[in-house]
Amino acid sequence: MTKPHKRFASRPEWMGLGVMVFVALGVVALAAEWVTGAPAIGLLALLISSVVAIIWTAIMGGLDTRRALAPYGLLKPGILWLSLFFLAPLWSMLEMSLSSKKSRFDFFPAFTWEWSNYSKALTDFGPQFGRSFLYAGIATILTLLIGYPLAYVIAFRGGKYRSLLLGLIAVPFFTSYLIRTLAWQNLLSDSGPVVSVLETLRLENVMEWLHIMDNGRLINTPAAVIGGLTYNFLPFMILPIYVSLEKIDVRLMDASMDLYTTATGAFRRVVLPLSLPGIFAGSLLVFIPAAGDFVNAKFLGSPQTTMIGSSIQDQFLVQLNYPLAAAMSFVLMAIITASVLVYAKFMGTEDLT
Amino acid sequence: MGTRNNLPTWSGPKYSRRDFLVRSGLVGAGALSLPTLLAACGGGSSTPADTKTLFFENWTGYMDEETVGLFAKETGIDFKYTEAFNDNNEYFAKIQPALAKGDKIAPDLIAPTFWMAARLIQLGWVQKLDKSSIPNFANLRDDLKDPSWDKGNEYSLPYQTGIAGIAYNKKVTGRELKSVEDLFDAAFKGKIGVLTEMRDTIGLILMAEGKDISKVSTFNEAANAFDRLEKAKNDGQIRSFTGNDYVDDLAAGNFAACVGWSGDVLQLSKDNPDIKFIVPEEGGTSWYDTMVWMKGSENGSSVSQWMNYLYDPVNAARLTSFVQYMSPVKGVREELVKLGGESAELAENPLLFPDDATIKKLQTWGGLSETEEAKFDERFASIAGA
Amino acid sequence: MTRAHDSKQKWGRRGINGFAVAAMLYLFAPIFMIVLFSFNNPKGRFNIVWNGFTLKNWANPFSHPELTDALVVSLEIAFISTLIATVLGTSIALALSRYKFKGSGGVNLFLVLPLTSPEVVLGSSLATLFLARGVSFGIVTVIIAHVMFQVSFVAVTLRARIRGFDWSLEQAAMDLGASPRRAFWKITFPLILPGILAAALLSFALSIDDFIITFFNAGSLVTFPLQIFGASRVAIPPQINVLATMLLMGSIAILVGSLIIESRRRRLNAGPESKR
Repeated sequence: MTKPHKRFASRPEWMGLGVMVFVALGVVALAAEWVTGAPAIGLLALLISSVVAIIWTAIMGGLDTRRALAPYGLLKPGILWLSLFFLAPLWSMLEMSLSSKKSRFDFFPAFTWEWSNYSKALTDFGPQFGRSFLYAGIATILTLLIGYPLAYVIAFRGGKYRSLLLGLIAVPFFTSYLIRTLAWQNLLSDSGPVVSVLETLRLENVMEWLHIMDNGRLINTPAAVIGGLTYNFLPFMILPIYVSLEKIDVRLMDASMDLYTTATGAFRRVVLPLSLPGIFAGSLLVFIPAAGDFVNAKFLGSPQTTMIGSSIQDQFLVQLNYPLAAAMSFVLMAIITASVLVYAKFMGTEDLT
Repeated sequence: MGTRNNLPTWSGPKYSRRDFLVRSGLVGAGALSLPTLLAACGGGSSTPADTKTLFFENWTGYMDEETVGLFAKETGIDFKYTEAFNDNNEYFAKIQPALAKGDKIAPDLIAPTFWMAARLIQLGWVQKLDKSSIPNFANLRDDLKDPSWDKGNEYSLPYQTGIAGIAYNKKVTGRELKSVEDLFDAAFKGKIGVLTEMRDTIGLILMAEGKDISKVSTFNEAANAFDRLEKAKNDGQIRSFTGNDYVDDLAAGNFAACVGWSGDVLQLSKDNPDIKFIVPEEGGTSWYDTMVWMKGSENGSSVSQWMNYLYDPVNAARLTSFVQYMSPVKGVREELVKLGGESAELAENPLLFPDDATIKKLQTWGGLSETEEAKFDERFASIAGA
Repeated sequence: MTRAHDSKQKWGRRGINGFAVAAMLYLFAPIFMIVLFSFNNPKGRFNIVWNGFTLKNWANPFSHPELTDALVVSLEIAFISTLIATVLGTSIALALSRYKFKGSGGVNLFLVLPLTSPEVVLGSSLATLFLARGVSFGIVTVIIAHVMFQVSFVAVTLRARIRGFDWSLEQAAMDLGASPRRAFWKITFPLILPGILAAALLSFALSIDDFIITFFNAGSLVTFPLQIFGASRVAIPPQINVLATMLLMGSIAILVGSLIIESRRRRLNAGPESKR
């Protein structure tokens, strides 16, 4: 269509980046309806022509131009998808969280700067928020305590069975999440095997004292919910830790053994610091989904252990209170982002992946 | 092929009702928004107007496969039957987007509980039945005719009816139960379940207070019952709020007692004779699920044929011997006797054919206005802690 | 080092190995239950209490059409969404690892965001967009949702996997006269293919198993996890356990197969250049 500007075309990477960002924001603008009507048609035409223009530049340009444009070309489809179905939805949700309904069955709420949704989210669902972060935090620590030694054994003692062992860890997670959780419901039930083992070992009193059991039951307690979260998210802790441990050179271990003489010393000074990125990634991969989970609380918990995920689900899919559900989601996002940032600062890591 | 035929139908232009950033109101350009972009890759489809088909979406485990097959065979209707109805509110949330827009939903016929049917009728999302082509309508039990929210059964016919009362596991309770107060017995702390079906749970508590639930119409009249429920939850008396899954907990011994539905417990007691169901001395709620014909469905004649088929006592009896709830159809008891064996035993079952003393104890909720119902639902949801 | 010290270390080592074995048992405890109860013979319609061994569930694994249909729907969705996500995600991973370019930091961050958002947020926000734009829920919305989280997943895992890839091989091929396209398809692609397949397999598993995001965006479509969720409130037929066990065995077969292929490959590679 239009001939790209000479100077702009001479900096193909700027052009590539520019078009990518423009197209990504453009589709968000269309999907979020920042522009409607005739301007929307104009914007769409502009988006298409900019893509055509850049393809044309690549075809007409030399090898260097093509090389400079290649990464943007490769990125564009995926970035577009994420803009359209990840960014634009966040915007819709922001709008929704400030909307209100005229009447109960009024289907689509109107945007009215309804800040009360946020105050309602915080006042009515404070306990659920608190519980979510408490349970997710404990579950993260537990997965670390269980997962680290396991990853360590596989990485350093697995020998030629390393891949097999790692695969075995993944296998249970190829059965459905819900079925696994239902199986736990069965295992922990009052007449289930776990309770009867504890009873034959006469450990009920200890468990009661530890607040793991409540009134002789395991299921429908906070402990059961935390246990379920720990189980279901364990591989997300093991795998990143394993990856970081695997990279450690065995010779480095030997050298450090000589240097620090004890295994614990070597572990503390060498292995642990080198595995910190794995611990960091693992704890995020456990904490974040666990904080928003509602499956474990639903199947293993009680009305006293509801987590914020259930509340959001209930407000959205049962009570049809989309604005409140959206506000709750945003508060959840905000708290998670803040805690991740604090945690990143504390761990001194910047690499999130 | 079940759910696979259930392809999405893409909406046409959308209607912007909001005014957030700079926006011109030209609806035509709405065609440029997301749906159209998606439609380009998704492709649209809609069911052809074939009146020889019927799609009935029902509650899980609520019909035998034999009936499904026999009806299709006898009438030549392509009968699609699914069981994705799990919860009234949840199902409503699922179908609301399409119906509010004026689109139709895939099923022709669904099975909401009576109060939800009332809501759907009020919203105008269901169609009038052609009763002249349902001669077996005459077999509808007299006590179920003419509900206050659907005079003359113009829009709905009952599917099955049942009782909410108290279910218990005698092995855990160690004694027989007889009263709603047993649910609040401190000996069962942490071993009590209640239903997420608000009308059944609150209904029983209200009856224990001596109220007549058919006359309760404002939230204030029920406020005490809600407070009592909340206190029981906070004390740890109540272990969980469940849907149909209370049967799991009851069988596993997690619940000593709970609010439950007659038919489920009958099925469960086959497995486990310790599990019992009673209508408490203070009374039990009687409820029923209905069949309503959804707006936009073009398969009216199939709908009528199906309802007529189901209201034939022979077919109704077969269904009863499977689901073990009370049938809304007259003459089922006689047909059950004819079937013999286990079915004949059902004919003698007081939960399927309650005696007069039991019937006297049963009450049905009256209608609640939209604003009052909202108060009930909100309060209940906050207690259930979801 | 003293003897006491040695034995202390030995015990420490045994302790940690023992712990690892216990942790493995913990991982498999519910799996054992699932498999065991696929052989249960419940009297009524509730597969809760052990009531005797039977093979009849395995003889009729597809006797619950709604369950089988849901599984088929899930497989279809997983297949399509994985295909799309693998293409999009692989392109992103290639761009990020193959080229140095302006804005790569931003792209990196952008990619991680969906992975670090709770599923309820992803699911409810996408559903809000669909509601606001009047898009009807169904198989297409579910596929869109799945691709959304799979793209990031494929891109991030594949990028980690090909981080150390030697791009000079491709350059060498081009020096020998191959066109860039030919060099890519003949040299680079076969080498990174195992990584792509692994990422695709994992994202396939994510799709099949996704419950939370699907729950918000499925409308009246029923996937396998949604069917289980529905069934869990009413009656759980043993066929659920049978189908779950089948999925499990399928994934074990894939795992063992890939391990065999990998070890064979390693042996082949180890032949000429055994000293690396």
